[in-house]
Amino acid sequence: MIKFILIVNKLGQTRLAQYYTTGLSINKRVALENEITRRCLSRKDKECSFLEFRDLKVIYRRYASLFFLVGVDEEENELGILEFIHCLVETLDKYFENVCELDLMFNIDKAYMILDEMALNGNIIETNKKNIIAPLHIIDQVSKKLK
Amino acid sequence: MSLKLHDLITKVRESSTTSSTREIISQECVQIRNAFRKEDTKNRPRNISKLIYIDFLGFPTDFGQVECLKLIAQPSYVCKRIGYLGLSVLLTENEEVLFMSTNIIRSDLASENKFIVALALSSLGNIGSVEMLRDLAPEVEKLLKSQAAYIRKKAALTAIRTIRFVPETVDRFVGCVKSLLSDKNHGVVLGGLQLLVEILKIEPKTISEFRKLVPGLLRMLKSLVDAGYAPEYDFEGVTDPFLQVYILKLLRILGQDSKKYSNQMIDILTQVGTSSGLNKNVENCILYESVSTILTIDSPNRLRVTAINTLSKFLTGKDNNMKYVALNTLLKGVNKDSKSLKRHRKVIVKCLRDKDISIRRRALDLVFGIMNKKNVKELTQELLDCLPKAEHDFRFDITAKVCTAIERFSPDDQWQIDTLVQVLTIGGQYIRDDVIAIMTHVTGRNRGLQYYASKKLYNSLLDDRYRNQKFIQVAAWVIGEFGDILLKKSIEENEPIDPSQIIDLCQIIITSSRNEDLTKYFVLNTLIKLSTRIEGYNEPIKEIIKPFMKHVNIEIQQRACEYFRLFEDKELLVFSFDRIPVKDDNLETQKIEEIEENSNQNRNTNTKVQENSNNQLSPNNNNNQNKNKQEENELNLMGSNINISQNQTQESSSIENLLQLDFSNNNNQNVNKQTTNTQNQQSNQSTEDFLSDIFGTNNNPNRSVNNTQNIQNNNIQNVMDLLGTGKGNGTGMGRGNGFGMGKGNGTGMGRGNGAGMERGNGTGMGRGNGTGMGRGNGTGMGRGNGIGMGRGNVNSQKKNPSAVIYNQDGLKIQMNFKLVSVNGTPAAMIQSTFTNSTQTQMTGLFFQVAVPKHLQVQMAPPSSKIIPPNNNGKVTQTFRIIKKQNIKTKLTMMTRIQFKINGMPISKQQEVKNLPLIF
Repeated sequence: MIKFILIVNKLGQTRLAQYYTTGLSINKRVALENEITRRCLSRKDKECSFLEFRDLKVIYRRYASLFFLVGVDEEENELGILEFIHCLVETLDKYFENVCELDLMFNIDKAYMILDEMALNGNIIETNKKNIIAPLHIIDQVSKKLK
Repeated sequence: MSLKLHDLITKVRESSTTSSTREIISQECVQIRNAFRKEDTKNRPRNISKLIYIDFLGFPTDFGQVECLKLIAQPSYVCKRIGYLGLSVLLTENEEVLFMSTNIIRSDLASENKFIVALALSSLGNIGSVEMLRDLAPEVEKLLKSQAAYIRKKAALTAIRTIRFVPETVDRFVGCVKSLLSDKNHGVVLGGLQLLVEILKIEPKTISEFRKLVPGLLRMLKSLVDAGYAPEYDFEGVTDPFLQVYILKLLRILGQDSKKYSNQMIDILTQVGTSSGLNKNVENCILYESVSTILTIDSPNRLRVTAINTLSKFLTGKDNNMKYVALNTLLKGVNKDSKSLKRHRKVIVKCLRDKDISIRRRALDLVFGIMNKKNVKELTQELLDCLPKAEHDFRFDITAKVCTAIERFSPDDQWQIDTLVQVLTIGGQYIRDDVIAIMTHVTGRNRGLQYYASKKLYNSLLDDRYRNQKFIQVAAWVIGEFGDILLKKSIEENEPIDPSQIIDLCQIIITSSRNEDLTKYFVLNTLIKLSTRIEGYNEPIKEIIKPFMKHVNIEIQQRACEYFRLFEDKELLVFSFDRIPVKDDNLETQKIEEIEENSNQNRNTNTKVQENSNNQLSPNNNNNQNKNKQEENELNLMGSNINISQNQTQESSSIENLLQLDFSNNNNQNVNKQTTNTQNQQSNQSTEDFLSDIFGTNNNPNRSVNNTQNIQNNNIQNVMDLLGTGKGNGTGMGRGNGFGMGKGNGTGMGRGNGAGMERGNGTGMGRGNGTGMGRGNGTGMGRGNGIGMGRGNVNSQKKNPSAVIYNQDGLKIQMNFKLVSVNGTPAAMIQSTFTNSTQTQMTGLFFQVAVPKHLQVQMAPPSSKIIPPNNNGKVTQTFRIIKKQNIKTKLTMMTRIQFKINGMPISKQQEVKNLPLIF
């Protein structure tokens, strides 16, 4: 099961955070994010994409200036999660056309929608890019008409 | 005018310092709050978006939660979308707000717009609480059968959360799974697979029903594997790897422990295992999952060998991710395939030296996993070789594993000592505390190696390179304990060590400012032990100890004072620092229940042995008792002195507390204080267990154990006597042979000797620091270097109830009850007194008590097995009853008494009701 999905920039600032476990206070969350990103960012390119942190396994991948971090429990297929991250990035890329940090910041709601289409309650649900984006396109069209 | 999200972000990005960012945010928060207060509905979505951004920056945003509720209550989709998003991001622990959303979510779930339904489902699936999920389970079930695949897949995942949080709803969803799995939409199938995995976790009984799905799953997997290019779900040439992974995962669960279904899977697993290449991550991902499945299910050997070989290919490859997962998988499948694993040992060991810490950690676990008695020497050496180069955190892990290996897989004692010394010298500062316990255990157990160990440690101690505290402590302990053997044997082997060399070394260590206080405790103990082991060095040792009587550390000071005083009483000194008896391995693991069971079978044989040992030891006991009486008198005198100051300070603690102390002193902090007892760390069990061990020694025909039991009992008696007679203000001091309970904290009902007393009076608190040089041991218990804090004021007015529970055949058993609390739980301390009114003495006394299930009984051994005739003296046995569950009832118990009179065995069993204690 996925515990959280984090997108941070190379300075360690959170750009998107989705938790699938409840009960984390904001202070704890900030501390956790800081600790995990600090550790991930300090790792070298050649080292493996997995990091064990407390009872979590953090699987991370870097795309240009953005780091995608996914915290999972023992049961998850680590390589599968890497593939999932890749799929997420490709989908964001497809929707935003060459996604960058600012796209995520300014359109955080859209980014969340994409994530919600792909995963729910810590489980992967959809990996077909077209299917993921389809609802967003419909919404975009409707809101254009309204304007 | 409210800022746009865009502008806020720009503003924050432009600010150069954290403080200016904070200012911008706090200003904005004020604005947002105002807008909320004014019910600014138009800008509400925008404000929530801003709050989400602010939340990422790590500022508190909980004031926005209720606004999210207002948003989701709006009919418009745009508002709902932001509202649900805000709810899932901003919500922390506030269940109330969440619960308020239940009805809105319920109506949204019934909406005709599938996007609104999807929003509500996602929200419920991501953040739903137990109550919400329970309430909305019927709706989720309905949506599983929805027309739209888009809804079905989300409902499946929401169902997972529902059964995870509310397991009783599982029946609702069991029936839906099959239709989900036969769905055409990949997303729905994916959801169905995950739901099934969750159901099997919660309701394992359903597995036989779901095993029927195996052929269908295999067909599905095969079609995915065989499928050519499928544009919809293509990932670098592999068709929907996620679906494949989840099918394999489910097969793993279904095939486990079932030969029949495992056999059905072999073909397709072989195909998956051989068809994929090793280049792309996607391919490896499926390969990895199939290998895990092969290793878990009941698969034939050849398939297993292929699987392990695949992993070794992962291991030897360049990709670190592959190495990691391979090590991880090997660790999971390690027990079943240790033979084929052996061939890959070199590769695994090589990973210990990898640059990547994640891989090294996995490798360490795996190396430990494949360790056994045959390869332990080699593998431990590998671990030790990595130790000096490893980073700080990792060293703790390595030493912990090495220590466990030494304990668990050791082929012989000498290797154990060698390795211990090695790990102590090179990584002592990273080692866990119980290493001392391992060392004391092995040296105590194997007499032949005592010289070897002490010599080795002594030589290493001379080496300046090894200066870590843990090592010095262990070395000091061993040298102190076996100092005589070290000297004697060294002369036999023509490498004589001069005693003064050892003592000089101790002096260097104890005076060095580099050594911490704990080490100094150890060395003080070494010195005092050496004074009993080696003739003629008392004076130099006294000289070394003397300056420490004024040491700034109060523990060192006290120790030094006590030891200095002990030199005056040679007999007590020798007695106190005699060699520690060997701990019996078997005792450690036994639980009181088992012992009670065993006792019924073994009693007959054991009582004889115990009687014998009892007889042999009785002169010694009498001796002690006499001494104790003398001490009591002495102390009564001293006690009256103390009273003057105590009446002023109104100390309310009483000797009762002392008694409690005896039982409950099991905190680790005591270990630091009472370093003489470090050997007791051998038992990491809770006091209860440890107590049970001690009590359990009833059945063990071990003389030394009985010896200590008797000594302990004398003390119990002494304490009890004190309690009884101490009307008014009595200070609890007896000459202590360590009431060694708990973790060997012999709380000395100590003889209040000079050093302590002076200090006590000095503070005007009337604190008599008595020293109990007791030897409470038995099961590897150390000497109780007890500190009796005899605070006076026995409150003797408090009447403790008592009852005569047995009065037959001349035997009378009286019980005195006292309510105490053990670590916060109520408990009853019960002292049973046995008196004999017949003309002949009763022997082989054996008394047992059983209590209802909600209670727990812990018994100390009786003070004697023999009850003297004509009411000439009594035998006491204390036990305590602890409440395990909070049920208030009158105390009832089942007792069984056995004894012999004129060689005639008598056994009586009776239920004791109506005891005068509500408990």
